[in-house]
Amino acid sequence: MDIEQIKNQKPKVKDGNGSKIGEVIEAGSAEFTAQCYKLDQAPPLGSLVKTQDKLGEIYGVVYNVETHSLEPGRRVVARGENMEAEEEIFAANPQLSRLLTTDFRVLVVGHVEGKSWHHYLPPKSASIHSFVYTCRLEEVRAFTQTLDFLSLIVNARIPVPVDEVAGACLRYASRAHRDPNAFLVKAGKELACMLSRDVNRLNSLLKRLK
Amino acid sequence: MSLDLSKLIGQIVDLAASLKSKAGERQTKLDFALKTLKSLAADLNALKQKVEESKTTWLVPGLKENIDLGQTAPHCPDDFIVLASDGSHIDVDRHQSAHCFLINIGIAQLQYGRNPDAQLLNFPYLYFKDGEVAITSADGRQMPIEGQLLGIKRGIEECRWLAERIKELDVDLPLVALLDGSLILWRLAEQVYPDFVVRELLVDGFLKYLGQLEELNRRRRLAVASYISFPRSTEVVNLLRLAICPHLPVDCDRYCSGKFEGRECDVVGGLLDRDLFARLLAPGQRSALFSSRSSVVAKYYGANEVNFFYVRLDGEVARVEVPLWVAEDEKLVGLVHSAILDQCRRGLGYPVALSEAHEQAVVNFADREQFWELVNQILVEDGIFLENSAKSESKRARWI
Repeated sequence: MDIEQIKNQKPKVKDGNGSKIGEVIEAGSAEFTAQCYKLDQAPPLGSLVKTQDKLGEIYGVVYNVETHSLEPGRRVVARGENMEAEEEIFAANPQLSRLLTTDFRVLVVGHVEGKSWHHYLPPKSASIHSFVYTCRLEEVRAFTQTLDFLSLIVNARIPVPVDEVAGACLRYASRAHRDPNAFLVKAGKELACMLSRDVNRLNSLLKRLK
Repeated sequence: MSLDLSKLIGQIVDLAASLKSKAGERQTKLDFALKTLKSLAADLNALKQKVEESKTTWLVPGLKENIDLGQTAPHCPDDFIVLASDGSHIDVDRHQSAHCFLINIGIAQLQYGRNPDAQLLNFPYLYFKDGEVAITSADGRQMPIEGQLLGIKRGIEECRWLAERIKELDVDLPLVALLDGSLILWRLAEQVYPDFVVRELLVDGFLKYLGQLEELNRRRRLAVASYISFPRSTEVVNLLRLAICPHLPVDCDRYCSGKFEGRECDVVGGLLDRDLFARLLAPGQRSALFSSRSSVVAKYYGANEVNFFYVRLDGEVARVEVPLWVAEDEKLVGLVHSAILDQCRRGLGYPVALSEAHEQAVVNFADREQFWELVNQILVEDGIFLENSAKSESKRARWI
């Protein structure tokens, strides 16, 4: 499928993908942080998201999700001792949804410039306040046709276990392909080439592809 | 040089010892005060008459209900809204080159029940125009708005924003509008301000907006109240002083002029109203309603005459003030009472809406610094010559 065709497709409600979920609040060349519009509505770990500006689109993999107080000095306290369900806490304290925020951090794994996919870092970081969208299955499938972006994940220095992110990303991407197992086998071979000098790590990562 | 705490330790130990030594005496006073209060309840009319006939130097409240009342709160509505406003300000700094001040109003609108929702908003406004930074009389006299007067101005803005916000509310649910602090602008009553200032701030300001709230009450179920945490007021204790006084009619100036101790009424001296009601009320109960007989209320407030009651919470006794039009509606008093208990329960002892309004409004030290830096930066960018005082520069540099 042509990139333009993919980009012009309207989001499918059935998939729940392709929707606007947040906004970039911190940006660097290799990663960015986005704030969710709705509490606890971050995309899953390892999922593919994108942001766009005049220069094109930047694709990234979600590697960390955090929900915390909007103000650094205010701690969240436990409130539900006498309640039966967690939802009751938010119903009884409606201000909580305005005082808490969910952020997710994204590892940049590629970009689109013109009509071409590039599975390496873009020349310019994401723009602050640019919108962040989930990717539709077709888009995920198209982006992961080649696995060149994997090295950006495997070699990333991030504050969460990087192999967990790589595993989550590949499991997530496999579901966009018509034959998930074939995709995972292909990914495993790619990893084997990359991690041939670190068999223990390779084995550990491959176990995460099941 | 920071404060040398080692030089203070001995004095703090003395302070603790002094407080401890007074505890027994205080307990005796409190027992006597409660006994007196209960005995007064037997003949309320006689007490009312004594109040009317007396001339006291103490501020004594008017009686609306029996003095020993302990009223349990009605059921809180399932669906209701609490709207609170609070403010903070950055005062005029005469060491800065720009003459201006800032008021930041925080609003918390919390909806409970079937469709829970919250709106947390803030409205910062910079005052710098000639007509904004001073109050001018018809004959051209000017009173700059700064210091204490700015604090009063801020309170008025809190009330104005509350009224503005309620006008925009299209949800038809019972509504409790909360302000922080007293409805009585005591500082204006101190008679240090000329009449045109009092009129501008009180009559054409605070009372006008309270009047708007009363007007809004005719369209929807709305109660307005102000909340005072850990109150230091003594009006009900003063009522006991009056009841104890052996002179008839009571006339402080005539019988006790120049005496500050050893008077018969000093057997309850030093107690606060909250001490009384902490013992008299069960948790969750409110006291009787009283009306304020302060001179500023009598002279200016009219239909917004300030009434008040105390409510015993889990951690403290708070004072709640309501305008007359709320006090005269039993259901609105009940709504205020139950909503405040509910708010304190949700807010770990303090009304959560007021707490969130405060969080929206608060301007801390770092904010102030950044504000003045931004003002100076923009003035410089606009080519305006800055004239900062040497004192201001000295504090900033802190050289040795």
